[in-house]
Amino acid sequence: MLFNSIDFAVFLPIVFILYWFVTQSNLKIQNALLVISSYIFYGWWDYRFLVLIIFSSLVDYYIGVKLLKEENQRHRKYLLWLSIIVNLGFLGFFKYYNFFVDNFIEAFSLFGSKIQPNTLNIILPVGISFYTFQTLSYTMDVYKRKLEPTQDIISFLAFVSFFPQLVAGPIERATNLLPQFYKKREFHYSKAVDGCRQILWGLFKKMVIADNCAEFANLIFNNSDNYSGSTLVIGAIFFAFQIYGDFSGYSDIAIGTSRLFGFNLKQNFASPYFSRDIAEFWRRWHISLSTWFRDYLYIPLGGSHGGTWKKVRNIFTIFLVSGFWHGANWTFIAWGFLNALYFLPLLLAKKNRINLNDIAESRYLPTLKELFSILITFGLTVFAWIFFRAESITHAFDFIIRIFEKSLFKLPIVRPTYLIIFILVFILIEWSGRTQKYALQTLFFNKPKVLRWGFYMLLIACIFVLSGSEQEFIYFQF
Amino acid sequence: MKKFLLNSALFIVLFFIAEKGMYYFLQKAPDREYDKRLEHLINGEMNKDLFVFGSSRGGGNILAEQIEKETGYSSYNLSYQGANIIYQNFILKTLLKYNNAPKKIIMVIDNPQEFTKVPTLNFRYDRLYPLSKYNYINNELIAQNERSIISKLFCLARINTSNFKTETINPPSLNPFESCGSRPVIRKKPTNDLIFINHSTDYSILDELPEYIAAFKNIQALCKANHIQLIFVFSPNFHVFNYEFKNRFEGLMLSENKIIVYDRLNPIYKNKDFFYDESHLMKNGAEVFTSEISGFINKN
Repeated sequence: MLFNSIDFAVFLPIVFILYWFVTQSNLKIQNALLVISSYIFYGWWDYRFLVLIIFSSLVDYYIGVKLLKEENQRHRKYLLWLSIIVNLGFLGFFKYYNFFVDNFIEAFSLFGSKIQPNTLNIILPVGISFYTFQTLSYTMDVYKRKLEPTQDIISFLAFVSFFPQLVAGPIERATNLLPQFYKKREFHYSKAVDGCRQILWGLFKKMVIADNCAEFANLIFNNSDNYSGSTLVIGAIFFAFQIYGDFSGYSDIAIGTSRLFGFNLKQNFASPYFSRDIAEFWRRWHISLSTWFRDYLYIPLGGSHGGTWKKVRNIFTIFLVSGFWHGANWTFIAWGFLNALYFLPLLLAKKNRINLNDIAESRYLPTLKELFSILITFGLTVFAWIFFRAESITHAFDFIIRIFEKSLFKLPIVRPTYLIIFILVFILIEWSGRTQKYALQTLFFNKPKVLRWGFYMLLIACIFVLSGSEQEFIYFQF
Repeated sequence: MKKFLLNSALFIVLFFIAEKGMYYFLQKAPDREYDKRLEHLINGEMNKDLFVFGSSRGGGNILAEQIEKETGYSSYNLSYQGANIIYQNFILKTLLKYNNAPKKIIMVIDNPQEFTKVPTLNFRYDRLYPLSKYNYINNELIAQNERSIISKLFCLARINTSNFKTETINPPSLNPFESCGSRPVIRKKPTNDLIFINHSTDYSILDELPEYIAAFKNIQALCKANHIQLIFVFSPNFHVFNYEFKNRFEGLMLSENKIIVYDRLNPIYKNKDFFYDESHLMKNGAEVFTSEISGFINKN
């Protein structure tokens, strides 16, 4: 079920009413309602894969229970590995099987051996990368005794399958989300209104910014041979806004929906395109994934401690794995590699944590130096997105080579004025709310109700009138 | 909770009222269009003996006014530039829903692209958008997933950016509308470097789209049910005739329908001065070809 569909517009109020009016008196029943609703939400896409998510949840639940009782460290380790193998096994099979088979065959063909391909027609279950990481973090936290394993199976199933964030995150930690299922949720007017506002902003980002940018980004990337260098630059910039609007829009809707049910999810984006360096960008982009890799991969590998070689190894490991997490294609690995190259000089020069504060704090505008840093960082990010969006490494290189032709200095052929104006307005709104959890949080907050409601109505009207042709959320494929 | 529900309800009601203001733009949108044929169809103002259907070949290569004069049948051209067969099926459905059934329909076939997906032939949604105020059109857009079901309730869901434009759209000077709906090409290309192509392209049934075949069958079924004589027309091209496609076409055609293929021996159809491009005649060429059709109608 897509957040921007009629199905969801019907589904959400029904669950909301049942949640607050029918099941409110009994926490267990209320959690059970969330589990059933989440399975309906997920099964709407393909009910067959419900088996997978239920199996994965049950394995981690029982491993958690076993870990509670088990004192033998070796046995505990076996249990942890069992969880890792089951979860990553499913992920590896559904997401990476064909990739590995294809590359294996290609590698052998280099030595003159011909192997008959044995690839399968595998459908990637929506959200598998997200819920796999969520359940893995649970087992790892329990193993490290950072978290008391739950004995409440309904709460655990609800934690894994919680529908607002099930298919595209944010990837929640059990330490944050699971305890919220143990406590009775209270309805707070301000929280619910805030949730609605965040949903509205998420829908705007997805349906107006991302979907409109997608039309032009797809056009340009799919026909890159026919366009001038300047048009390809515009295409890459449109893709940068598409992926931001798409993914952060999804996160906003997920977080806002959770607030309607009395849950607090972690912030997943914090105005990443206003970052002054790549390190700051990665603290602000897909925060739940970055911190996951930091806590469960980077730090166990030694983090930024140790010698230079170790630091370099750790940085490349985390970025390459992060790239590979996004998809079974060398383009994602190249994207990760490029980001590691961007990041490394900052780490080695110990400048990766110089921009920890918000940009232009207590000022309306950035300084010239800050503006320059933002533009450089944005440029580097856009360049890396070319690999992310391209169909293959060859396509990415062809795209880049064509950018640097003479035609770079010609007026772009594709330049939709209305969309450029929208992007500029969008940047202004995002800038004004850069210190908030989402840009709309306090915009018009202290204005009279007429103005505030008028503004919200205008946004809804924009969503109705200006929404581009419906595109699936990009991160569904991950 | 009570406050939240009350405020939500009030917001929705106010929005529902405010958005009705968009009805102004919905109402105004059709006025800007110079091509009012679809609107006339919906309003039941298209009652003629003979209609011409097709894409730009139908629109420019057949002159309905001339047919009317030469055969005595009141005629009108309902061809749309770039229209695929699904769109033509929709136009026929609309014609029969709101108007009297004609006696004859001349359907110009795009040889050999009629049943295959080509970028130049599409469902002409752009002709439907300005008429979104009509429920019939909106329902068609919903059926084709171009509008959501909520457009039945909200005016906002029926409009798009084109509805906010205020200037009137002018007909193109290359092929303006004639009074009976035909659009012959009246201006030559600055450089006419057409060369007659002597080889025919292969036709593969595998390239056909099932939905296009279904639309074709539906057109024949509708004509049969309404006792309309359906005449298929293969108009002149500045290249050798594709018999492979014609054979395939005849295999799909009902036996009671007629077929006209342009006179391939006529030297005019090998003279580039009568062509705008390889599949579109100039007005003088269209006059010659229309006479052929009138002759056929008078004989049958």
